[in-house]
Amino acid sequence: MKRRVLVIDDSLTVRGDLEEALSNAGFEVAAVETLADARKILAEGTCDLVVLDVLLPDGDGVDFLREIRTLPCAPTPVMLLSTESEVKDRIRGLRTGADDYVGKPYDRDWLVSRARELTRRPGEKEPAPFILVIDDSPTVREELRGTLTRAGYEVATADSGEAGLRLAANHRPAAVIVDSALPGIDGATVIRRLRQDTALRRLPVMLLTASEGRGFEVTALDAGADAYVRKDDGMPVVLARLGAMLRASGAPAPIAEPASLGSPKRILAVDDSETYLQVLAGQLRGEGYEVAMARSGAEALQLLEVQPVDCVLLDLLMPGLSGTETCRAIKKNPGWRDMPLIMLTALDEREAMIEGINAGADDYITKSADFEVLRARLRAQLRRKQFEEENRHIREELGRREKEAVEERAARVLAETRSSLMAELEKKNLELEAFSYSVSHDLRAPLRAIDGYCAAIQEDCAERLDDAGRGHFARVRKAAGRMGRLIDDLLAFSRVGRLGMTLASVDMQGLVGAAIAELREQNPSRPLEFTVDPLPRVHGDSSLLGLVVQNLLSNAVKYSAGRAPAFIRVAAEDRPGETVFSVRDNGVGFDPQYTHKLFGVFQRLHRADEFEGTGVGLALVKRIVERHGGRVWAEGTPGAGAAFHFAIGKEALRP
Amino acid sequence: MTQESVDILLVEDNPDDADLTIRTLRKHHLSNALRHVRDGEEALRFLLGPEAASPLPRLVILDLKLPKVDGFEVLRALRADPRTKTVPVVVMTSSREDKDLEKCYELGTNSYVVKPIEFGDFAEAVARLGLYWILTNSVPR
Repeated sequence: MKRRVLVIDDSLTVRGDLEEALSNAGFEVAAVETLADARKILAEGTCDLVVLDVLLPDGDGVDFLREIRTLPCAPTPVMLLSTESEVKDRIRGLRTGADDYVGKPYDRDWLVSRARELTRRPGEKEPAPFILVIDDSPTVREELRGTLTRAGYEVATADSGEAGLRLAANHRPAAVIVDSALPGIDGATVIRRLRQDTALRRLPVMLLTASEGRGFEVTALDAGADAYVRKDDGMPVVLARLGAMLRASGAPAPIAEPASLGSPKRILAVDDSETYLQVLAGQLRGEGYEVAMARSGAEALQLLEVQPVDCVLLDLLMPGLSGTETCRAIKKNPGWRDMPLIMLTALDEREAMIEGINAGADDYITKSADFEVLRARLRAQLRRKQFEEENRHIREELGRREKEAVEERAARVLAETRSSLMAELEKKNLELEAFSYSVSHDLRAPLRAIDGYCAAIQEDCAERLDDAGRGHFARVRKAAGRMGRLIDDLLAFSRVGRLGMTLASVDMQGLVGAAIAELREQNPSRPLEFTVDPLPRVHGDSSLLGLVVQNLLSNAVKYSAGRAPAFIRVAAEDRPGETVFSVRDNGVGFDPQYTHKLFGVFQRLHRADEFEGTGVGLALVKRIVERHGGRVWAEGTPGAGAAFHFAIGKEALRP
Repeated sequence: MTQESVDILLVEDNPDDADLTIRTLRKHHLSNALRHVRDGEEALRFLLGPEAASPLPRLVILDLKLPKVDGFEVLRALRADPRTKTVPVVVMTSSREDKDLEKCYELGTNSYVVKPIEFGDFAEAVARLGLYWILTNSVPR
């Protein structure tokens, strides 16, 4: 998808220029004159970048920047663009949160390149390989553009070696196709320059030539070309060689690439003379630099606080904070120490110049010298800084990789430990399952035999037994029956812990109704009076919650055995985040001091001869409710009934 | 024809369960044509071997946990063979596990009965299924 850029500038020239430059670079551009129009555009949808003038007919750009920053959407990068009259504007803009501040007159390539950087999304991949074509013939350029575009490449063109090198630095193409014969620097020189730039060194380059001579090919390859194609060979050959070249360079670069030597540079010029500043800035902009200007040492320091630069040109003699003092202040700051600083001096300031160098300046230059020398010195300083940065970058990268390797090792060990624990757990679960299975199978068979043969004796030998003998056999059979129920309950209890849950919306009213019907059937002679309030649906496992309802209701029926009638009431209460269900009876109740024992496995508060039971039912209830993320509790008074409550959350459970 | 006609084939390794089952069937006069085998291999030899029973029993009562060849394998083999694919099989087991139940139905059992522990219930279950499959049910002959 195309990135949207909103340009807000009252100058028609600037709008037209930026619209053209940014559209050519693949952006979708909306250009408006006033803040009112800008607000309309922003209200329609988000932009990926805003380029904002500071002085606008209906307001102040920095105020508008503040307004953008309060918008609820994701932060949009904002580039302020303004006439560099007051360094205060630059400082104010950057402090307000501008992502960049570009002075007018601006360099088009510089601005487009920054726009690319500011709109780059993390981890983004180029949609198609991007090829740079450098050729002075418009015919050849367009022919190549057409062929390559049809083959699925993105193409940019340049008509001179110098322009090509700048494009290469700013746009980082996947490959370069360069004509050998160019005005200005020739193709071989372009390749050599690329090979000298660490960031572009690995860029595959194809040299195109009209010449037939073998000597030319040798020159081209000597210069570092990866492929050499004669124009007569035709477009298919160019495409084939380009494909091969890109495949060969497909291996990932071993180290993440630092900024290129040719990437946009910002220079801070500090001088109290407005005239000299303007001349200097003009000269530097002609070289493609972005220039920030400060009229005093104090202004320079303020500006550096908010915007780093690539080099400082500092006048030695200034009112207020002197050049030497400014230089010392800059070099004292650890973040600025590596920033090249060139002292500008008059010829007769030898002493002061030495003092400046002692204060930490990296170079000095006399103001009277021609700008050719200044530009060369500046390039030298920028190159030095670049190399230092590359070295630091490589050191950091190596450190980072080492750290990653250590972290990866740690993560692997952790993962291995985890997976062995999981395997162990899995094994234990299988063992438990096998155990439950054999309990269910193997313990039942002998019980059946005990009960079965007791029954056989009772049938076959009844006349040979006296009353005591018959009574003993009856007791053996009763005990076998109890043991059978215990085994069944225990298995049901373990199954609730083992099996997965099937989650859905559960009809509690229906579950309660079914349980009541069953209880009435099992106790046809008992006077049972049930009252059931409207019960809401809950999210959970229907068959498990059915067990909860059955257990609580059958307990209520069991423990109200002596009551005629037995009153049993089921109610629900809506509470924040949960629903509480209650089952109350008017039965024997229980002693509240034993409440904590109610829900434990095999815990019973009544003697077996009073009420039969295995002591598993309430433990099962608790286990099921807790698997639903809920709670259970109970209230009771001896002889005055009991109430059992369980709460189920309203949030949907994660299986 | 070396074998007498068999109505019920009982495949049960537990002598007590077998004895109590036969006792119950005898009470209901269903044990006259009963054959008891003690493992799956014997069951398969009886039904599918060179001297296989003919005609087929009217009912196979099959335990799941058996020595040598277990009940699942017996069921699978019976359903895979054209001669026995329709023979009525009732699985009678101690296992209440859902997965056993599902597996037996997938393999094509006609019925699945969990052996009750209490003899009264057990005897009732055996009598009911014997009466149903031998007296009520019709099978293709």
